[in-house]
Amino acid sequence: MSNPEQKSISDAVLNKIKSKEVKMRPKYYFILRTVLTALSIFIVTLFVLYLISFIIFTLRASGIWFLPEFGFSGLKVFLTLLPWVLILIAVILIITLEIFAKRFAFVYRKPIFYSILVIIIFVLLGSFIIGKTQFHPNLFWKAQENRLPIAGKLYRDFDVNKLKEVHRGIVSEITKDGFYLEKPDGQILNIIINSNTKLLLKKENMKGDEVVIMGKEDNDIIYAAVIKGINDNMMFFKQGPINKHLKNQLQ
Amino acid sequence: MVQEKDQQSDEEIVAQIQLGGVDLFGVLIERYEKKMMRYARKFLSDSEDIKDVIQEVFIKAYKNIKSFDTKRKFSTWLYRIAHNELINVLKKRKTLPLFDSDVFLPHNLHDNNLVQQIDRQDMREMIDKCLDQLEPKYRETIVLYYFEELSYKEIADTMQIPISTVGIRIKRAKEKMKSIYEKLENNI
Repeated sequence: MSNPEQKSISDAVLNKIKSKEVKMRPKYYFILRTVLTALSIFIVTLFVLYLISFIIFTLRASGIWFLPEFGFSGLKVFLTLLPWVLILIAVILIITLEIFAKRFAFVYRKPIFYSILVIIIFVLLGSFIIGKTQFHPNLFWKAQENRLPIAGKLYRDFDVNKLKEVHRGIVSEITKDGFYLEKPDGQILNIIINSNTKLLLKKENMKGDEVVIMGKEDNDIIYAAVIKGINDNMMFFKQGPINKHLKNQLQ
Repeated sequence: MVQEKDQQSDEEIVAQIQLGGVDLFGVLIERYEKKMMRYARKFLSDSEDIKDVIQEVFIKAYKNIKSFDTKRKFSTWLYRIAHNELINVLKKRKTLPLFDSDVFLPHNLHDNNLVQQIDRQDMREMIDKCLDQLEPKYRETIVLYYFEELSYKEIADTMQIPISTVGIRIKRAKEKMKSIYEKLENNI
């Protein structure tokens, strides 16, 4: 303690402690902080799972999900129709999760690449599992009937039935120049097939099949650029007006 | 009584402070003041700045001492507080980048400890001559390893970076210092 500079540091700190200017934080402060961190991680995880599963739901229900299989033109439309704002929010939330996770030694001791990869795999896997349930279809149809107060606007703003470039539905009737497509909300569209239409179908007779069509809409008439038969088995169609309509037909 | 305290580990002393033996905090300051000063001096030149930072480090350590797990090493915990304080000061002065690519990708662990043990002494002399010219991220890793004699794991915990990044930073810092040293030698 011969160095006066050192002595002054030690004295200054000890004097502040003795005069109670500096106080020890109580144990419960740290417990509370840990609980709040855990709670924040839990809430952010739930939110990111909800958001990514919602993005996947809108892409599948609208048919956008299948567009990359339509070739370059499909990929172009796919990229323009992706909900970029929601994707950006999801990326920000994943980064937030990574920041929270980095508080733990087992996370920061490994390269960020690994922890980000684990988080991405976890949220994608979780979102796909949610996608297999009726969670989003239930909320979607409730929102359409104005029975969903909080997230209703989100489902209405991203209404998968209102897209002009891509259409998903069931072939209800074959016509001489194409067929009628019944969309999940019950809307009937007249699909025109011409020599330029690319057909990606598994069988000739499409009646009753589920299809995704890329093509511009003009007063309920679609000039199809590409038609693809799909077998997605999505819960979404089992709950909407299209199902009620088919049931009525059967009765 | 003094002898008794000298024989106690840092962690044992912390356990007593946590239970109310506030006066014992002076023992910890005595043990670490010089080390902390030496550590801070590698990043800051103004003695008043150094004094302020070290004072703040001990105040923060005291305030948060009840969060310290006595099963862990106290020195690593204290260096972590000092690291954060220095980062805050350097960031305010805009001498630190916001993102560091070293921590993103995995690297092979350069853990040639035997070689590093042997050349620690020689390295210190070389480091002293070219430390100022190293980027802070390399400088800190080198200081913690060669001067404060922390292990890779302790450095990783102090800086909260991957263990493999500690290895790669030490390797890169050595390469950089070698070229700086050669330039200095040529100039002489």
